[in-house]
Amino acid sequence: MSTSEMKAVLQYKTIELIKNIGYFVAGLVVLGLVWEFVSRRLAGELPGPLATWEVFKGLIEEPFYDYGPNDKGIGLQLLSSLSRVGMGFLLGSLVAIPAGILMGASKVGMKLLNPIVQILRPVSPLAWFPIGLVAFQSASSSTVFVIFITSLWPTLINTAFGVSSIPDDHKNVAKAFGFSKIKYIFKVILPYSLPHIITGLKLSVGVAWLVIVAAEMLSGGIGIGFFVWDSWNALSLERVLAAILIIGTVGLLLDKFFSLLQTKFSYDKK
Amino acid sequence: MTKSNYDYMETLTKTKTELCIDVKGVSVRFKTPKGVYTAIQNIDLQIFKGEIISIIGHSGCGKSTLMSTISGMVKPTEGEVIVNNKKVTAPGPDRGIVFQNYSLLPWMTVYQNIYEAVDSVLSSLSREEKRAVVDKAIQMVNLTTHKDKHPQQLSGGMKQRVAIARAFAINPSVLLLDEPFGALDALTKGSMHVELLKLWNLDNRNKTIIMVTHDIEEAIFLSDRIVVMNDGPAATIREIVDVPLPRPRDKREIVNLPEYRITRDHLISLLMDKFSIMDHGVEYVEKQEAEEM
Ligand SMILES: Nc1ncnc2c1ncn2[C@@H]1O[C@H](COP(=O)(O)OP(=O)(O)O)[C@@H](O)[C@H]1O
Ligand SMILES: [Mg+2]
Repeated sequence: MSTSEMKAVLQYKTIELIKNIGYFVAGLVVLGLVWEFVSRRLAGELPGPLATWEVFKGLIEEPFYDYGPNDKGIGLQLLSSLSRVGMGFLLGSLVAIPAGILMGASKVGMKLLNPIVQILRPVSPLAWFPIGLVAFQSASSSTVFVIFITSLWPTLINTAFGVSSIPDDHKNVAKAFGFSKIKYIFKVILPYSLPHIITGLKLSVGVAWLVIVAAEMLSGGIGIGFFVWDSWNALSLERVLAAILIIGTVGLLLDKFFSLLQTKFSYDKK
Repeated sequence: MTKSNYDYMETLTKTKTELCIDVKGVSVRFKTPKGVYTAIQNIDLQIFKGEIISIIGHSGCGKSTLMSTISGMVKPTEGEVIVNNKKVTAPGPDRGIVFQNYSLLPWMTVYQNIYEAVDSVLSSLSREEKRAVVDKAIQMVNLTTHKDKHPQQLSGGMKQRVAIARAFAINPSVLLLDEPFGALDALTKGSMHVELLKLWNLDNRNKTIIMVTHDIEEAIFLSDRIVVMNDGPAATIREIVDVPLPRPRDKREIVNLPEYRITRDHLISLLMDKFSIMDHGVEYVEKQEAEEM
């Protein structure tokens, strides 16, 4: 590509970016207007965008303050939730990926695990909270346990699907050249199913981020979910609304991160 | 034929008495949803060391199935295949396979595709030795400048060369090629034929090569013998046709030899008589060619 062509491409991309930002801002404005309208109709029962913005600013001015067990900054709450999601998600993935490979690669594995998955998958992960409490004797560990369960299913199912859809061509290579089991897993199965696995991880982390809010409402103590519940009890809807915005933004960032991984690891685009 | 050519033919036939592959009463039946399908039925075939054999027949007659019983990818339902005095039960390092559709792993470079095969088959070599083997194989098919590319970045001919290099790298005594040049354009195909023969010559014509094709000209140019199969189900060998052309063969010259025309016409009649597609157009072309000679 010549420099002038590269310049043209760059220019085009910049214009596209500015356009997209424009649309995003316009969308926010529409949302703000609807919000303001609803807020006025409810005669102050629901705080409007400006009042929420004031509270939001207050929250993020000092995100990491710590005045004891029930009074911590929003940053600390967020970090706590993120670390639980991270922990539960990590443990869940460590179980789901090998189990998915087993399911996808062997008929026996599929027959063994599939009924269990089919029964457990539709259950709301929150139903596991009491089990976690009994098992770990701690609300915080129990929350991690709930996230662990949450993170299992999408990763498991996508991994199993990816592995079971390996084309015969690829299997034949392994058979013809006598690949060992280890080589087959690491040089054929994993690279082939990596895009599927990442899709599963992305779905898992999305659901985990949904569930953490509810789980922390149950567990109390600390976390963004607890913060929402605590703010409701303190009758500060502004704080609830601000938290919703923050939760949404973090969720979006998590999703974008895994989308990035997805494009990075799709081998056919190289 | 000159005197020296005669000597040459003699040495060739002399070396080709050592049995390499013995297909004994092989039948293959597949279980399908509609019931049992017999692909090939009671096949007997003996192939000698250093021979190049083509298997030719209509699409779906069971050529790949027959090849797969030799490679060990498919187990015969009846009968057995002996390769180098050992019964075939699975693919093995003495047989290099080139699949119809290249079968390269798309997440690996050219180098890695060959390396993993070498690493697997020649596991007793050191890492350095394996690397040397891979480099040599890549050099052999002239792909050194492309060795870090992924298959998606290569043309069909280049992919085919990688697949051939991979099969050669493990230095098997038998090479099994399933429609290796089927997807290539005529020009690339022609140069691949020459390259294949070069590789075979480099190795003192010790490798036994079996190739599936449905290109009659290709079969004649490359083979010592051509196995013509009947149509399935329950396909059998219709006839094994000798190719009485001296080596080294020159593509432009052999087409003018009467042996070439006789062999080709015989093959065409074997493959086509059922369909009686000899229309006037074909006859016309034949006549014209005859006048040119
Ligand atoms: N794994 C299989 N299961 C069922 N039928 C098969 C299988 N492999 C091949 N066949 C059938 O056996 C016949 C011969 O196939 P194949 O050997 O691939 O033919 P060719 O290579 O001559 O085109 C075909 O009718 C095909 O449908
Ligand atoms: Mg075939």
